Amino acid sequence: MLILQAERDALLKPLLAVTGIVERRHTLPILSNVLIEKKDGAVGFLATDLEIQITTASAETLPGESFRLTTSAKKLQDILRAIPGNSTVSLEQQDNRLTLKAGKSRFNLQTLPAEDFPLLSVNGTPEATFSLPQKELKRLISQVQYSMAVQDIRYYLNGLLMQTDDNQVRLVATDGHRLAFAAAEIDTSLPKAEVILPRKTIIELYKLLQDSDEPITIEVLANQVRFTFGSTVIISKVVDGKFPDYNRVIPLDNDKLFLIDRLTFLHALQRAAILANEKFRGVRLVLKPGSLSILCTNSEQEEAEEELEIDYGGGELEIGFNINYLLDVLTNLPAETLQLAFGDANRSTLVTIPDYSQFKYIVMPMRI
Amino acid sequence: MALPQRKIIHVDCDCFFAAVEMRDQPAWRDIPLAVGGQPDSRGVIATCNYLARRYGVRSAMSSARALHLCPRLLIIPPDFARYKTASQQILAIYQDFTELIEPLSLDEAYLDVSGRPHCQGSASLMAEAIRSRIRDEIGITASAGIAPNKFLAKVASDWNKPDGQFVIRPEDVDAFVRALPVGKIPGVGAVTASRLHALGVRHCEDVRGWELAELVRHFGRFGERLHALARGIDPRPVSIERLRKSISVEETYAVDLPDLDACLAKLPELLERLAHRLERAGQPAFRGLSVKLKFADFSQTTVEQAGQQLSRDTLAALLQVGHARGAQPVRLLGVGVRLAADETEPRQLALFHGDEQTG
Repeated sequence: MLILQAERDALLKPLLAVTGIVERRHTLPILSNVLIEKKDGAVGFLATDLEIQITTASAETLPGESFRLTTSAKKLQDILRAIPGNSTVSLEQQDNRLTLKAGKSRFNLQTLPAEDFPLLSVNGTPEATFSLPQKELKRLISQVQYSMAVQDIRYYLNGLLMQTDDNQVRLVATDGHRLAFAAAEIDTSLPKAEVILPRKTIIELYKLLQDSDEPITIEVLANQVRFTFGSTVIISKVVDGKFPDYNRVIPLDNDKLFLIDRLTFLHALQRAAILANEKFRGVRLVLKPGSLSILCTNSEQEEAEEELEIDYGGGELEIGFNINYLLDVLTNLPAETLQLAFGDANRSTLVTIPDYSQFKYIVMPMRI
Repeated sequence: MALPQRKIIHVDCDCFFAAVEMRDQPAWRDIPLAVGGQPDSRGVIATCNYLARRYGVRSAMSSARALHLCPRLLIIPPDFARYKTASQQILAIYQDFTELIEPLSLDEAYLDVSGRPHCQGSASLMAEAIRSRIRDEIGITASAGIAPNKFLAKVASDWNKPDGQFVIRPEDVDAFVRALPVGKIPGVGAVTASRLHALGVRHCEDVRGWELAELVRHFGRFGERLHALARGIDPRPVSIERLRKSISVEETYAVDLPDLDACLAKLPELLERLAHRLERAGQPAFRGLSVKLKFADFSQTTVEQAGQQLSRDTLAALLQVGHARGAQPVRLLGVGVRLAADETEPRQLALFHGDEQTG
């Protein structure tokens, strides 16, 4: 029985929006499937890994019957990707089989009953609800997400802290060596609330956010967060744990400070990084009145040196860093000019944007 | 076993860090002196001179407690650079006698002098010569134990401490071991000793009355070693593979720890002991942290993660993961570090203050 007929892209785009979270191998076979549902006009797609659930719908209403089925997300995605872009795709369902036809191609796929598909239910009423333009949230996330830990045993670092406080929302990420903080003002007055969003949720959310003024609504629930934007809804569990107090690690008395052009500094570091030690990634910065030198040495004793003129009149300092931690912040900030504030070779360095208190990056040195 | 008779010397410098300090600062010879952390910063005593020991001051004791026992005690911070220099000079003396040297720490080493021609082949005379050169060339004293294996040499070096030595000849081994209290066996701590006492075992002679299988049933794999040591048997060679791969401390609890919270409560104490051990080892660079758990059923598990600081949070997280694997009462907890291959490896500092225990 024919259940649907559509242009390839009308199906592929919403499908790709949900399949990023599908695990290849799972103890529950149905979790490698995507739930496709058509009620009245639009076709909805839903995928979950039991921690996160993403639903979205096709942009336009499509002709065909109402139906509800699940089939392999990866295979369906691969098939739709492989057929020509302008093809018309038809779906037919017979017993537990799904047949996809496009031009002279024909694919017969297995299905599993939609009623067996596990759905995340939303618990309780939101503690805080707020909206902001998608591009604003995207900008905030881009400023901090690179500092999240990856598979740290301190599981609460493998995520992003989201705090609401009055009319401010703050995002904080840290891997225990460096920390990024970004804040934004919003129209609503919010209660104090904080949650740790899992790394995977942040990465998926970031992929799906558009550079548009269209709003995204965020609801902080007891142990979940729901993001609603366009026809997409992401429900995510939150990480149960105590995020470190970022206020404690913001250095207040770093007195060796200067302004630097972001791209000039970034390009000098990128060149020096070619000869940074492959394993430890150390870079030495030497600060003197009027100049900043950048020195890298690798395990073969090859050396790179860069010197930048800076407007600096303070004391001398030699300090080491993991060069990736510096490249990360310089790559991900849109600002033209940055302020660097050093203390000494054993204490944290603060990177900020001049006359802007909504961003902070704190990085600990490396003893080289 | 038809192994040829070995001659092992265990050399142990007397209160090494304090001795180096007293050598360089003669005014300190006549006052109670300790090397360690300051009492206000949760510091512990690394070592102390014999005058301080008379007041009950001991290694690994908190500095605050040491000062309470001996209010005149002078506690000075360690200067590992000087201790390392002295240790290398001592190593050079050993090398004049044998190539087979196994350093245990900056102040302790095993030497295998079997078949060496020095001093007409007498290990006792070689020990005398080594100690006398340490006294003349380094300016500190050392004690030595001479025996046919590592276990007995180590026990013997403690026999006439300080500035003394003790020989256990092959023909005396049996009588010596029979009379040796079990608490003197390296590896028998307070808990194992009290469990042995509860079984009516006070001396190695008593251990010999127990079947190997019975000992293994009571003490796990250590039972095997007990069975051998009680007979004066220790085949471990002096290992010149001197690079230690890890440093750890562990504790067997008299009463099993019932749950995760009870385990977490023991972590600060273990962490302090580990910090102390690292200090004694000269603050080596390390690249990983590990937590070991032995459960009530004697199964054990180890969890590791990369890290260059003694982070309480990381160890707590490792403990949590390890505990979940067993989900039963815990009889032993250990924490350790995996040493870096190269001392000069760069070291990334940690962000969270108080997270970092060693500088």
